[in-house]
Amino acid sequence: VVSFFRGLAGVQQLTATELAPALASVRDALISKNVTADIAERLCASVGASLDGVTMASMTTITATVRSALRDALTRLLTPRQSTDILADIAAKRAAGGGPFVIVYCGVNGVGKSTSLAKTAFYLQRHGLSVLLAACDTFRAGAVEQLRTHATCLGVTLYDRGYGRDAAGVASDAIRRAREAGTDVVLVDTAGRMQDNGPLMAALAKLVAANDPDRVFFVGEALVGNDGVDQLTKFNAALADHQAGSGRVRLVDGVVLTKFDTVDDRVGAAVSMVYATGVPVVFVGVGQTYMDLRTMNTGALVKALLR
Amino acid sequence: AAIRRMSNNTVPDETVLKQMLSEIARALLEADVNVRAVQQLRGNVLSAVDISSLGAGVNKVKLIQKAVFDELCRMLDAGHKAVPLKRGHGSNVVMFVGLQGNGKTTTCAKYAYHYSRKGWKTCLVCADTFRAGAFDQLKQNATKAKIPFYGSYTETDPVAIATAGVERFRAEGYDLIVVDTSGRHKQEVALFEEMEQMTSAVKPTDIVFVMDSSIGQAAHDQAAAFRSRVDVGSVIITKLDGHAKGGGALSAVAATRSPITFIGTGEHIDEFEPFVAERFVGRLLGMGDVSGLMTT
Ligand SMILES: Nc1nc2c(ncn2[C@@H]2O[C@H](COP(=O)(O)OP(=O)(O)OP(=O)(O)O)[C@@H](O)[C@H]2O)c(=O)[nH]1
Ligand SMILES: Nc1nc2c(ncn2[C@@H]2O[C@H](COP(=O)(O)OP(=O)(O)OP(=O)(O)O)[C@@H](O)[C@H]2O)c(=O)[nH]1
Ligand SMILES: [Mg+2]
Ligand SMILES: [Mg+2]
Repeated sequence: VVSFFRGLAGVQQLTATELAPALASVRDALISKNVTADIAERLCASVGASLDGVTMASMTTITATVRSALRDALTRLLTPRQSTDILADIAAKRAAGGGPFVIVYCGVNGVGKSTSLAKTAFYLQRHGLSVLLAACDTFRAGAVEQLRTHATCLGVTLYDRGYGRDAAGVASDAIRRAREAGTDVVLVDTAGRMQDNGPLMAALAKLVAANDPDRVFFVGEALVGNDGVDQLTKFNAALADHQAGSGRVRLVDGVVLTKFDTVDDRVGAAVSMVYATGVPVVFVGVGQTYMDLRTMNTGALVKALLR
Repeated sequence: AAIRRMSNNTVPDETVLKQMLSEIARALLEADVNVRAVQQLRGNVLSAVDISSLGAGVNKVKLIQKAVFDELCRMLDAGHKAVPLKRGHGSNVVMFVGLQGNGKTTTCAKYAYHYSRKGWKTCLVCADTFRAGAFDQLKQNATKAKIPFYGSYTETDPVAIATAGVERFRAEGYDLIVVDTSGRHKQEVALFEEMEQMTSAVKPTDIVFVMDSSIGQAAHDQAAAFRSRVDVGSVIITKLDGHAKGGGALSAVAATRSPITFIGTGEHIDEFEPFVAERFVGRLLGMGDVSGLMTT
C-alpha cells in the first residue's frame, strides 16, 4: 500500500485526524455488512495506521484512499494462504493406499452441516470418487432419516446405527466399513452443539481424537452475527483442550460458510471468522440443492463488502 | 459491562453521558442489534435525559441507565398483545414460518407440548415436503411428546398436506393445530409465494415467526420480508441457551410489529419459556440482575 502511494505525485500528507471521519464511516459500513463490531474496528485501525503520514495522490479524496487501502487489506485477508483444494489431497491419499479420506463436519445447531455434507458428497462423486456417509448425529430427531434420504438420492452408501449410540464409535465403525469396501471418502455428520456446552464439546473432541480424520470442517452460516467468531474459536479451543497430551492434535482445518444466498451483500461473517482465526473458507453454500456448493470468490466478496 | 463501568462515575456531565452512550452502543452492536436501531437509541436517550436541567442530589448515572433500559424495553414492545388463542370457539390454527434451520420444527413441538400440558387438545401438521427427513423429525418429536400428528411421505405439495391435515384435525375438534413449514428466505420468490398460498389455505389464527438468536445484521430485512407477505402475529426467539446475546430480536419486533411470546433455551421439548423483556434486555447489555433499574 505504502509504495503504491509513494509512486504518485502527491501533495498531501495524511494525518490521523484527517483520517478519523473516513475510517469511522467505513467502520460503520462494515458493521452493517455484518462484520463483527470489534473486527470492523481493528481492521479500520490497521488501515488507518498504514495510511498515517502517507502522501496522498492529489486527485484522490481521503475516502477513496481509505477504501482502496481497505480493499487491499480485505483481499489479502481473504485470500487463503494454502490451497483449499481437497481433491488433490484425496487423490494423494488414495494413491498411497492410505485408506479412506475422512472429513468430519461440526458446528452449532441448524447451520447446514448435514446439507453441506450431502453437497460435498455430490461434488466428490462428480469427480469420480466413491463416498460413504456416516450418520453420527445420533441425537436430533430425524437426523438419521435426513442423511438416509440424501444417501438414497445421491446413490452413495450410508452407515448408520440408529439413535442414542456413541457417535465416536459409530464413526470408527463407518470408517472400518469404508476401508473394507475400498471407499475413497467418508463424510462424518455430527449433531449440532452449542460452543459453551462442555459435555457435548468433549464428546466431539473424543470423536475427532479417536478417529483422526483428514479434515475437520467447521460449518457456520453467513447469517450469523457476533457469535460466529466465538463459535469457531471455541470449537477450536475445545478440540485442542480435549486432545492435550495425545500425539497429533486435530483442529478445525476449514470453514464451510452456508446460506450465502440469504444475506444479499451482508457477507461480513466470512471476514470475521477468517480474521479471528486464520482458518480458510473451503466451501460456501449458496442454496438448498446439491449444486449449491461453491468455493469462495474473494474478489466478489470484497466488492460486496465495499459496496 | 458498559453499564457496570458507568456506575463508577458519580457526576456525569454531557461528555460523560456521550461517552457512556458510546460504550453502550458498542455493547449493543456486539449483541447484534441493528446498526440503525443503535443510532436511533442513542438519539432517543440523549433527548430523554436532559442532564443540565437536573439538580444536585439526583443520581444521574442511574437515570441514564434507566433511560437506556426503558428505551430497549420500548423497542421490544410491539405496542399490542399477541394474538389470543381461545378455547371452545373452534380450532386455533398456528402456522410457523422462518429462515432455514432457525428452529421451527423443534419449536412447533415445544409449543404444542406447552399447550397440551395445559390441557389443550393439541396436534401437529408437517407441511415441509422439502427438507430431507422433515416428516420423520416432526413425527419423532410428536411421538415422544405423545401429540397426534399429520404428514405424508409421498405427497409433494405442502399446501395440499397443510389443507388436508388442518381439515382433518378441525373436524376432530382439536383446540390447537400447529402447522410446521419449510425454511425459506426473501431472496427465493417461489418460497414466499408458497407461504402465501399456505396462509390462504389454512387461514391461521396466528403466524409465528421463528428467529435464531445468533442472527446478525440480516435480521431486519428478512423479518420485514416475511411480514410484508403474511400476517406474522408473534415472534419466538430460539437457541438462547447459546452464547449469542440475541440483538436480532429487536429487529424482529420492529420489522414484524409483533411481540415476542416465547424463547427456546435448548434442544429438549421442555426447554421453552415465556419471553420476559426485562430479563432479555439485561442479557443484551451484559448485566446480570437488572431489577434495580426496574424499581426506580
Ligand atoms: N438457503 C440456504 N439454506 C441452506 C443452506 N445450507 C443449508 N440450508 C438449509 O438449512 C437448514 C438446516 O440444514 P441442516 O443441514 O439440517 O443443518 P445442520 O447443521 O445439519 O442442523 P442440525 O443437525 O440440526 O444441527 C435446511 O433447511 C437446509 O436446507 C444454504 O447454503 N442456503
Ligand atoms: N441449543 C438449541 N438448539 C435448538 C433450539 N431450538 C432448535 N434447536 C436446534 O436447532 C436445529 C435446527 O432446528 P429445526 O427445528 O430443525 O429448525 P427448522 O427451522 O425447522 O429447520 P428447517 O425446517 O430446515 O428450516 C436442531 O438441531 C434443533 O435441535 C434451542 O432453543 N436451543
Ligand atoms: Mg445435521
Ligand atoms: Mg423444519
